[in-house]
Amino acid sequence: MLKEPVTHLLRKTQEIPIMNLDLLISNIEELNVMSAVYVKCDGDIRMGILLYLPEKESQMLAEKLLGKPISNELVDIATSSISEIGNILTASLINAISIDTGYRICSSVPGYAIEFFRTLLEAVISDFGNESDKLVISNVELHGVTSGICIHMLLIQDSSEIRKLVI
Amino acid sequence: MNRVIEIKMGGMEIITDDKEELKTFVGSCVAICLFDLVSKVAGMAHVMLPKKSDGIRFTERSDIGKYADEALSYMVNDMILKGANPKRIKAKMAGGATIFAHESETGLFNVGPRNITFLKQILKENDIPLISEDTGENFGRWVRFNLHSGDMIITSNLKKFEKTI
Repeated sequence: MLKEPVTHLLRKTQEIPIMNLDLLISNIEELNVMSAVYVKCDGDIRMGILLYLPEKESQMLAEKLLGKPISNELVDIATSSISEIGNILTASLINAISIDTGYRICSSVPGYAIEFFRTLLEAVISDFGNESDKLVISNVELHGVTSGICIHMLLIQDSSEIRKLVI
Repeated sequence: MNRVIEIKMGGMEIITDDKEELKTFVGSCVAICLFDLVSKVAGMAHVMLPKKSDGIRFTERSDIGKYADEALSYMVNDMILKGANPKRIKAKMAGGATIFAHESETGLFNVGPRNITFLKQILKENDIPLISEDTGENFGRWVRFNLHSGDMIITSNLKKFEKTI
């Protein structure tokens, strides 16, 4: 993550009924506005990837990338730079899955939003358009060792898609 | 103090007591509310998607509000069973936002506007007047419906407003 070591941690993978998605929302996430990037993957495997971090931390990340403080004129570039970071992270994951499995996976352009986590989650689940009543959701954290910045990654899949990866 | 019944994602509830309120949260999903204020019957569905693609009718699933076509069909039938007069049923709705913006492809992440369009089409086909709406934009909304007054109260934590439609 921008010239610093990054550790990653798989917090939890769980199969969860769509109606119980509230369980994924922690108090911290309920109270803080998040900056988020969403990428949708299709092809041999279908997957939604949501990356998010508190808005203030995303500003730090963008300033680090741009090499200067974000002024009003730089807001669009800062947004674009966060989307690009999301794109790079998701592309790395997609490439790794593709290399390991041989699956052909196409990803969408990244969508960007600033909102509370509840809104982000609701929009992503709705857009993912799952026909079944349950989803498998993995929660991964990426920690920048020096900056302390933590990016959360939610991997969203249908149960049948998970089977494609496990077998 | 009214008893608040919270509707989960893809859920649906009917109330017949005007001391009760229906409540849900929507981003790109839509909160559609049908009501007959004379008979004091109201329903709210948290619609996630326009139409079910496999054509199989619902049975006893809990997420009966997930698809616009199923949700409205079920809600109208259930409201009539609970005393609503179909000629008096009216609608209000909120949500259908486009939360994620992107720099290229059009038509991506547009499930919100598609939900709104499809719901309006079904309401028209069923001769249910849409009295008011607070739809579109790019933020999430808490939505409450008060059966006593017929008011739909919309709150946005991000935009910091509350309004009644």
